Amino acid sequence: MPDLATLLEILIIVVKVSVISGILFSLPLPLTWIERKVAGHIQVRLGPWRVGPHGVLQPFADMVKLLIKEDIVPERADKFLFKLAPLLSMIPAFLVFVAIPFGEKFAIPFVGKEITLYLSDMNVGILYILAIGGLGIYGMILGGWASNSKYSLLGGLRSSAQMISYEVSMSFAAIGVVMLTNSLNLLEMVRSQSGSFLDWNIFYLPVGPVWFVIFIIAALAEINRIPFDLPEDEGTLAAGFHTEYSGMRFSFFMLAEYVAMVTVSVLTVIMFFGGWNPPLDISIFHLVPPIFWFLGKVILFIYFFMWLRFTLPRYRYDQLMTIGWKVLIPLSLVNILVTGLMII
Amino acid sequence: MSKGPSRIAEFIKKALFLDFVKGLSITLKYNVSRSITLKYPDEEKWVPDRRFRGQHTLNKDENGRELCVACELCVKVCPTKCITVIPMEDDTGRGIADRVAKVWKVELARCMFCGYCEDACPTRAVRLGRDYELACLDLSCTTREKDELLKPQSIPDTIQGGFVVRSSFERTPEGIRVVPDLRMQKKRNI
Repeated sequence: MPDLATLLEILIIVVKVSVISGILFSLPLPLTWIERKVAGHIQVRLGPWRVGPHGVLQPFADMVKLLIKEDIVPERADKFLFKLAPLLSMIPAFLVFVAIPFGEKFAIPFVGKEITLYLSDMNVGILYILAIGGLGIYGMILGGWASNSKYSLLGGLRSSAQMISYEVSMSFAAIGVVMLTNSLNLLEMVRSQSGSFLDWNIFYLPVGPVWFVIFIIAALAEINRIPFDLPEDEGTLAAGFHTEYSGMRFSFFMLAEYVAMVTVSVLTVIMFFGGWNPPLDISIFHLVPPIFWFLGKVILFIYFFMWLRFTLPRYRYDQLMTIGWKVLIPLSLVNILVTGLMII
Repeated sequence: MSKGPSRIAEFIKKALFLDFVKGLSITLKYNVSRSITLKYPDEEKWVPDRRFRGQHTLNKDENGRELCVACELCVKVCPTKCITVIPMEDDTGRGIADRVAKVWKVELARCMFCGYCEDACPTRAVRLGRDYELACLDLSCTTREKDELLKPQSIPDTIQGGFVVRSSFERTPEGIRVVPDLRMQKKRNI
């Protein structure tokens, strides 16, 4: 029989896991609304307006619609893989959050018990995130394969080629950050960037901005957002790998995509923008709880991704490959060299 | 060699993402600018200019006599043959002449709002007005009779038009209406 302290620890972990999963499951609701609002205002429209004030209830209406829609499985599809693919795409997106820290310790008021704002302090955190995050691709490939439709298959194949090309440069960017911070641990990464904004990795001149650019481009390709959303290119592939999906199975793919966008924003903030450190090391900024600095930066990045989506056109497939293999990878190799020289 | 500097400039432009910054600043400008959407049925309504060709209206003179003399010119000129006029004799002073319309009927489902009827009218009795919400749930409203057309329209002739006003969206058992509030006039270009 374990003692009370162990049980309490287990209880805290269970509570943290359920809170994080709850937040992640409900994330697409505000994010779809924000995305449509951003789209609307960039195109000088209003976006959702009629369901609730300023259309805030629109995602709930959409959710009800997706829940009551018919779940169609194509006659000639590989039924088992077809049903498995959305889960394969969604679960890695959630698993990544095991290693992601949202802050240091946090004392619950009136109880005096300190809890940590992360699930596990993994010493190979960044490696784990890259490895697990890369698994989500199986969902897309299998979904495209199992649908038994040419659009889906082409979308799945495109996504596999894209992932292979960009996973390399994304890992190189991670290596660069690891070199700058001397740690694979995400907590250590944030701690090493404490101080004013000049201590952040993005301002580690001259290599920091280059790593940031490489990372953000590779990450955009990893999460299949415009300008690299070739796997679901609606102009040429209907809807790409999820053409045949409908109802809840489709929304699992959407969920995975939005969670991936949040993951990438969080990673960018941790790796380059000092995590939960305030931008200036002055006492008034330390009054604000660190989690708010963290959330603020993450929200800025989510907005940035949406802003990019409604600014840039989609790249052609050969341009995508050119950027991946002929620009990003040589650039990251050179940058590793420069980073190494600077550290010495 | 002459291409040298321009190629370097091109490379610097690409390396600093100058084109991206340009595009992003334009979309950011639009993101914070005012939307041009007209919140039509809920909050705002467009008041047309006087030249607008909406639903027909039959006018009276200042003494309240019907201007229509049932000459049937509008019937003859109508390209879609949607107007029906049956004249009758009436010397009680209902109209400006002894000949008035017994029936003056227009089928709006067939009308194409060309405005030939108001051009042909010798007494300026028939005008195309400014009411444009003509939808309804059955065919009953597609035919407008004379007594309905003689009522003044929702926007009085004294109002210039050509602007957006606040309005309220009303659901009644008879149907839905968008009632403009003509006191507050928002100057807005569309």
